[in-house]
This record gives sequence, structure tokens and C-alpha cells, in this order.
Amino acid sequence: MSNHIIGAALRRAAAMLMTMLVTSTAAGAHEIVGNRMFPATLAIDDPGVADELALPTVAMTKTGDDPSVKQLDVSGEYSKLITEDFAVSFAPTWSHVYAPGGPNLAGASGFQNLETTFKYRAYKNAEHEFVMSVGLNVEWGGSGAQDVGAERSKTYTPTLYFGKGLGDLPASMNWARPFAITGQLGYAMPASRSAASVDPDTGDTVITTNPNVLTWGGTLQYSLPYLKSAVVDLGLPDFVNHLIPIVEASLQTPVASFSDSGTVTTGTINPGVIYVGDSYQIAVEAVIPINRQSGTSVGGIAQMHFFLDDIFPNSIGKPIIGSGIATGRPTLGH
Amino acid sequence: MKRIVKLVSALALLMMTGVAAQAHAHLTQASPAVGSTVTAAPKVVTLSFSESLEPAFSSVAVTNANGVAMQAGKAALVPGTKTQLQVKLKPLKPGTYKVQWRVLSVDTHRTQGDFSFRVGP
Repeated sequence: MSNHIIGAALRRAAAMLMTMLVTSTAAGAHEIVGNRMFPATLAIDDPGVADELALPTVAMTKTGDDPSVKQLDVSGEYSKLITEDFAVSFAPTWSHVYAPGGPNLAGASGFQNLETTFKYRAYKNAEHEFVMSVGLNVEWGGSGAQDVGAERSKTYTPTLYFGKGLGDLPASMNWARPFAITGQLGYAMPASRSAASVDPDTGDTVITTNPNVLTWGGTLQYSLPYLKSAVVDLGLPDFVNHLIPIVEASLQTPVASFSDSGTVTTGTINPGVIYVGDSYQIAVEAVIPINRQSGTSVGGIAQMHFFLDDIFPNSIGKPIIGSGIATGRPTLGH
Repeated sequence: MKRIVKLVSALALLMMTGVAAQAHAHLTQASPAVGSTVTAAPKVVTLSFSESLEPAFSSVAVTNANGVAMQAGKAALVPGTKTQLQVKLKPLKPGTYKVQWRVLSVDTHRTQGDFSFRVGP
């Protein structure tokens, strides 16, 4: 195999992992468990289901390709409750990949593959602020533009999600009770074991294997709304009482069929803050690559997110099947 | 893209004007305050919420450190309001008390929460 072909295969594998990085930034549902509201998070999905709309999510990053290029992603996600515990969401992403030579070159634009997630909230314990869901994410291969790295193969990712608030800590640890952690663990399986592409430099056809990838991540968050309404009202300014500082981690590790991709874990660490209002939230995070393969500089991501169950409680904001009486988002101060 | 901008703008406008939104009832104020220490034993607990409530489906319970109920009767709306819930208390001795509330807003969203306050020097 020539160096050109090897290089093309590596670029393609890196592009595929970057695509997973990019498309994993689509946000998921927020969740309420007892005293605790788990906000919708940006890098990984949160542990619950709800009627909501994340629009837009805007991310600017520099890819891990060689040479690295700047990439703009604009995405949205609509999540619809079918029952109180089961939701289906749709998440399109539009990308613009800037040309490596600078702003005067054309670059490439187009949609990533459409993603659909079927998610079921399997367990919820209000007293211990614990929730767990299971889901299946489907990336519809071939629905996006190959110019921006969209794969032609479908990918199925069964995923486990969980969230745990620390509100059940003893009173002696009151300062820690507003903390919560969430996490997800998924296994991405391409429907096709390999893919063919044409090396743009040589015109040679390149066959690469599609790896199975462990997609994992978590968040650590500190809820000031929780502090005010359930621990101690410090008389902080109203704006501050709506903030949730957060750190997210979103990681991908090839674990099978990785002859072309290697086994290097890629991903980002995202520190940021979420402002939670009555019927919406706004989030801003930095995107810090964990290594060279994940990106070459710090990027950023921002999102506007609407709670449709609050905005339209009697129409599109309630489950299609079921009572429609929401379990409630408690305790935001004003 | 223009359609998306219009949709986001419309939703943002709805949020700001509150035309369609009847959000969950959030606890906005409590007396005694959340996590506070009061020297004089309160005779009532008053909770203020962000939305109008259905009093028939809303409740407040106050318990001492042994889990004994200290409220005297059912919670009721403060006369002349739709967003403030009040419950009378039995005489409180120095100690820590837990307030557990559960309310239903007029748009049928249910919320719940709890907090503590302390009576003592």
C-alpha cells in the first residue's frame, strides 16, 4: 500500500472520528427528578426525556485532521415525548469546513448525517435524585454530504444514560448537595464493516474499515438554583441564582475493527455555564481537545434550548399518549 | 436558514412575552428562608411560587428532626393571592425543621421540593 493510500485511509478514519465528535454535540433532553433538575447538556445527552427543542447549537472548532481545519457546525434537535417515559428525537447538523489555506478558499459545506434517537427512561428515584435511561441512536448514513465527512454507512449506537444528584448527602455536607453528575456509555456499530473512497490526491480507491467505537462521557455540575431553593438562600443576585456551572467530557475510543483508525481515544473537555430560565436555557462552553487527534486549539459552543412542555403545555408540549401531567421542574428562584 | 431564524425568534418572543407559556410553579421565596436560622419560632410557613396554584392539589408538610408533623391543618392560599401557599404551625421548640412542598400549577404541571430551617439562637 502506498504512502498516499495509507495517508488517505488515516485522514478518512480521523475524519470519521471527528464527525462523531461533531455530531455528538447535539443536545438532549433535560430531566427533573425530585428536587433536581438535570439541564440539557451540550457535549453528551442528559439522562432523561422531555418535549423540547434545542435550536440553534453553534460550535466552532479546529479539527484533528492534518492539516487541521476550522469547522463551523450549526445544529438543532427536536425531542418529542410519545409517552411519559419514551421519546424520539431528530437532530440535523449543518457544517462548514473551512479550507486549510485560509478564508479565500472555498472550503466545503453541507449537512451531516441525520440522527434519530429512541430513548426510554427506565428508572427514576426522586428521593435519591437518580435517573437512568436507555436509548438507541441511529445515524442515517448517506443522508449527509461526504464533503463534510458524513459517512455512507448507517451507525447504530445503543446507549446507557444516568444522572445522580447529591442532594441526599447529610446536612453536614450541605455545600456539596447542589452537585450532580451525569454520564453516558454507548457502543457505536457501523452497519458496514468497510467503506470505499477515492483519494483526492492520487485518484486511487481506498478501502478503510469502520471501527466499532465506545462513546462515553460525563458531566459534573453545580446547581445554584438548587442551592437557593433546597439548601440555603444566600440572597445572591437573581441572575446568579439561575446559573449552573458545568464541566462536560465527551470521548470516543475505537475498540474493534480499528485497523485504520487506531485505538487512540479522542474527545473534548468542555467547561462552561448554563443559564436556566422558566421555559428555556442558554448554554456556553469552551471546547478543549484532549489530544492532537481531537483538535488543535480551543473551540467554543453555544446553545439556545426551549422547554416545549412549559411553552406549549396543552399542545405539542405534552406526550402523545398518557396523562400529560408533567412531573415538574422545581425550585428556580427569581 | 431564514425559516429557522424566524422560528427561533418566535419562540424567544413567546418566552419573553409569556403569551403561551405557563411554566412550572417554582419556589421563589420562603418564610422562614431556605436554610435560615430564626430566633423566634415562626407560627406559619409561607411559600411564594412563580405560577398560580391549584390549592386542592397542593400541600406543605413541616416535620421536626424526629419526623413528627408540626403543621396545624392543611396548606391554603394566602387570601387575595393565587401564588402564595401558607400553613400554620404547632408551637416549635429550638431545633431543625424540614419543609416539604408539592404543588400543582394551573396548567397541570406538578413540582415538588424540600428545604430546612432552624429555630434557635
